[in-house]
Amino acid sequence: MDRRDFLKITAASGASATLASCGNPEHSMVRFIPEEELSGGVAVWKPSICPLCPAGCGMLVRVMDGEAEVIRNGKKGTIQMGLAKKLEGNPNHPISQGKLCVRGQAAIQVTYHPDRIIHPLKRSGARGTGPFQEITWDEAMSMLVSQLNGLAASGNQKAAVFLTKPMRDQRQTLISEFSSRFGASVPVTFDPLGDHVLRRANARSFGYDQLPTFDIGRSRYVLSFGADFLGTWNSPVTQSIGYGDMRQGKLQDQPAKRGKFVQFEARMSQTGANADEWIPVNPGTEGVLALGLAHVIMKAGLRKPEAVGAAGSQIAGWPGLADYAPEEVEKRTGVKAERVKRIAKEFANNGPAIAIIGGSPLAHTNGMFGALAVNALNALIGNAGAGNGESPMGFMRQPKPNADQNRHFESFIADAAQNNERVKVLLLHEANPVYGSPPAWRVRETLSKIPFIASFGSFIDETSILADLILPDHSFLESWVDHIAESGDSGPVIGLAPPAMHALHQTRAMPDVLLDASRKLAKPLGPPMPWKSYEEMLKASVEAVDPSKDAWKSAQQLGGVMPPANVSLPAPQTTRGGSPLSYSEPQFDGDAGQFPFHFLPFQSQAFLDGSLAHLPWLQELPDVLTTAMWSSWVELNPQTAARLGIAAGDTIEVSSNHGNLQSPAVISPGIAPNIIAMPMGQGHETFTRFASGRGANPISILAPMTEPETGSLAWAATRVRVAKVQSPSKSKLILFAGSLREHPEDIGR
Amino acid sequence: MPHHWGMAVDLDRCTGCEACVVACHAENNIATVGDSEAARGRAMHWIRVERYWEGEFPEVKVKFRPVFCQQCDNAPCEPVCPTYASAHSEEGLNAQIYNRCIGTRYCANACTYNVRFFNFYPPAWEKPLHLQLNPDVSVREGGVMEKCTFCVQRINAAEVAAGMQKRTLMDGEIQPACVQSCTANALVFGDLNDPESAVSKLAESPRGTKLLEELGTKPKVTYLLKESWHESRGA
Amino acid sequence: MKQERNSETPLRGLITLFIVLGVGGIVSALLFNSSTLRGQSNRQDPPVGSTGVFTSAHPTIGLSVRHFFGMRSEPVQPIAYDHRAHIETAMMECLDCHTGALTGPRATIPDVRWCMSCHKTKATDKPAVQQVAAYFNRGEDIPWQRVYGWNDEAHVRFNHVAHLAASVQCATCHGDVGSMTVARRVVDHSMGFCISCHKEKKASIDCLTCHF
Repeated sequence: MDRRDFLKITAASGASATLASCGNPEHSMVRFIPEEELSGGVAVWKPSICPLCPAGCGMLVRVMDGEAEVIRNGKKGTIQMGLAKKLEGNPNHPISQGKLCVRGQAAIQVTYHPDRIIHPLKRSGARGTGPFQEITWDEAMSMLVSQLNGLAASGNQKAAVFLTKPMRDQRQTLISEFSSRFGASVPVTFDPLGDHVLRRANARSFGYDQLPTFDIGRSRYVLSFGADFLGTWNSPVTQSIGYGDMRQGKLQDQPAKRGKFVQFEARMSQTGANADEWIPVNPGTEGVLALGLAHVIMKAGLRKPEAVGAAGSQIAGWPGLADYAPEEVEKRTGVKAERVKRIAKEFANNGPAIAIIGGSPLAHTNGMFGALAVNALNALIGNAGAGNGESPMGFMRQPKPNADQNRHFESFIADAAQNNERVKVLLLHEANPVYGSPPAWRVRETLSKIPFIASFGSFIDETSILADLILPDHSFLESWVDHIAESGDSGPVIGLAPPAMHALHQTRAMPDVLLDASRKLAKPLGPPMPWKSYEEMLKASVEAVDPSKDAWKSAQQLGGVMPPANVSLPAPQTTRGGSPLSYSEPQFDGDAGQFPFHFLPFQSQAFLDGSLAHLPWLQELPDVLTTAMWSSWVELNPQTAARLGIAAGDTIEVSSNHGNLQSPAVISPGIAPNIIAMPMGQGHETFTRFASGRGANPISILAPMTEPETGSLAWAATRVRVAKVQSPSKSKLILFAGSLREHPEDIGR
Repeated sequence: MPHHWGMAVDLDRCTGCEACVVACHAENNIATVGDSEAARGRAMHWIRVERYWEGEFPEVKVKFRPVFCQQCDNAPCEPVCPTYASAHSEEGLNAQIYNRCIGTRYCANACTYNVRFFNFYPPAWEKPLHLQLNPDVSVREGGVMEKCTFCVQRINAAEVAAGMQKRTLMDGEIQPACVQSCTANALVFGDLNDPESAVSKLAESPRGTKLLEELGTKPKVTYLLKESWHESRGA
Repeated sequence: MKQERNSETPLRGLITLFIVLGVGGIVSALLFNSSTLRGQSNRQDPPVGSTGVFTSAHPTIGLSVRHFFGMRSEPVQPIAYDHRAHIETAMMECLDCHTGALTGPRATIPDVRWCMSCHKTKATDKPAVQQVAAYFNRGEDIPWQRVYGWNDEAHVRFNHVAHLAASVQCATCHGDVGSMTVARRVVDHSMGFCISCHKEKKASIDCLTCHF
């Protein structure tokens, strides 16, 4: 190390800025007058809502005063302002119940990220190469408005389209309203890992086009088919709280009878690691297993076939289920017939019981069958999904049915690729399809042909780097936030909160930018937007569900309307239908001889689909099963590794018909020999200093297989081969070194 | 009688979600060390979740165990410190007094549980990440050892508040950041000198064990072992 | 007042020796153990500029030495704030302005809006008050310098409200500021000073009471 490095390191300790210097009036920077009332050194807790996943956990933000560098009237200076310091769950909020998951705890780093976009930017180099130039908000707004005016002048408003992440708030409504009043195309949602198959199956089986809510705390037997419900799937915080209660009762109560949890999956997830019985299943045969259990339950007379109700009508061969006798099930799924029989009986005899399906079973070409089969199993044992509070599974009431009127990205990109003249103005809001799509969709090429792209995102990622104009949004802590929960509680939950702190940078809230733009258009919207600001829109939405005088004020204090008990809400729509399904073999891309392994990408505990890879706390989080951090890895079974001559830490190449990648190997006993698994999240080309150029992205080798009924990406339907790389180009597996030096023998019975 | 702070960890509840790990970073101004330092085994996690594999595929099981400073009453870290930077507090905590620490790292070598972390470099928060720092907790400089404090800043704040209101502390009033965040309520914190406290009762559980207590460290954390399921009987 | 010396004095000398040896050891380790020390490889650029100075915290060796021995220069205030005029003449209390001491750990210095709540009308002919108004009119706060406080390396978490609750007078730790014009540092906030009072009042002298 030379002296320069030493200085860099010393200089890095920005936080140890010393009081010693406070004796000198050397502050060259101006100190601005504070813009809020502050109580010095005393924490104030303000409500907010976690934006990182669709669950919508209510949180409390610990706000304390501090000195921040800001720009006011074009001048740089410091200001004393309320700063978010810590996020915790909001105990008033029925989804989070005072808790947050690991990602929610890290969400605060979004606001303070050193690579946040802090003012509007205009592209100043070749598209996709990176150089951007700072511009003022006036310039930025006039660029946006003139693009929209240009379309309106030529009567080509349909050539404008919004592309967003899945949203469950009034921003979604605002974007839809803007689009329809302007005459733009229907907004597009990018959600390739979303649970469309399960929603559709629930509509078919139960009449609810939404994700189910599970009262795990009250369940005494939980069967999960691939669902990482304690880690990444559905409403993990609510479900984890319930899990604790299921095991050892509510903290204050007498412990109830300890519940049992069985997980079926081919690669052990964080959730599966907690199972009393972890049972590997052949990929794509989960539905067979569910019907096998149903078969045993009916045959043993533990439930009457009629109990299944309408959910049974979705299954060909119900109630006999002749094709699903335990011996048949063993052949297809790999689960021993005796085990099927035993678990079926335990499941039926130890109620309340629930069956959960989520994750990779739904991401096969026959995912719909799997979902309908698990629905039928649930219905058979009494979980008809009525949401009446009797059964531990139900559907949450919402103020209006799922407004999934948006177009799915899968169909949009296919059309856009074929007819690239159609879209002229793309408005991008927090979706990163260039990173998150299989290569065969050719997203980068297709989007690059769109003449004008504006992004509202806070970071430069693989998609927003294509933008011509960036109108950076406030972070969630600086914004009005709201959320309509889809699952997690029996009653309806509408989360809402004012900004927890003032904006740190020269950013503007996306909804207000949109409302501002709508007022500046040459040809007014028809009819104009009824709200002046997003705050006004939220107020109207609260008054719509709770007309009482204090509703708006108390919603802001509590962090939402939870629940609007005295208000009757319309029941979700009923959209049953579809012809009964029978099992069909899952289809896989790639010849089994050439590509002998099933490739199983999974949402990582730290980064989910990769949208959180920019947060340093999550990069440095040791994955709980592998202890890997700051890296990606490929999991394989010890037998497989031995056969291929692969040792732990070796770099291996994983190849599919659609590409290949290199990553270090982790040898894990919790994975079937015919499976190669890999966490999503790393492998970003462009996503801040913490994530760029780190690891590999499993989505980049996925085949464009789909589930036929919904057209959703079947992301577990790719076959691969693996080989040890003799001279790795880049390989780094970092494992957390901390553990006990000596190991006590027993940590459980 | 002074308080005697302790913790209980119900391994039958713990899901390995690691919310505690990041909650601890956020509360206690723990720096991330970055990839190359992490590769050298220098990542600082005052609390970690250990994972134990049992059996072989397909009959394989996992057990998780969150490990953090056990706040031993007979702590190996304390007598080895030449500057008394590792000291026992009145309320039973293994205090690390940063301004006494000269970085010999004897304590970390002596610690049975491997829960002490050394700042090989001055910690770095790239601006404006430093705005998140908790003003109630010291930022440790390079060359200093650090470790779990049971969130002593929260303990002290609660004691001051109770003292000003002339009342005693209530059980459950103090929650270290990990306990607050624990989604499955596996972590319980409280006063072991109060026989009525939740943690005292859990410490008496037949499932209770202490980590490596045969070494005579007298740890103040009780681990409640994971149970197995029997159809015929309850918990 | 005769200051009570800490009974641990001989030990302290030893500790200081240890510290000096330890610091020397660390510095030499940093300087000579070359290949083992690297910053985070993934940084695109160092967070703070660092050329031409001894360290970022200390531009010169002299300053770092002064810092090490706790020698601090007197603060230079942007405006010659007259404490006596406010306390003796205008009959104000310390806590009228340093309100944070009533509620939390920090006594706090109010921002210029607080000054102007009186000085919009009061004493507007005084040059110092006109300076205050000038800051206000420019939209700026006054860059007051703190008079007391510890180095970060002292790791002291002081709590004003707890001391007020224990009926400690402001003057005990800050001297008779009411008779000063610009506040000066007249009390040495050494650990011995704190400990002697804690002992006298039977407050805890556990390390963790203040250092955490």
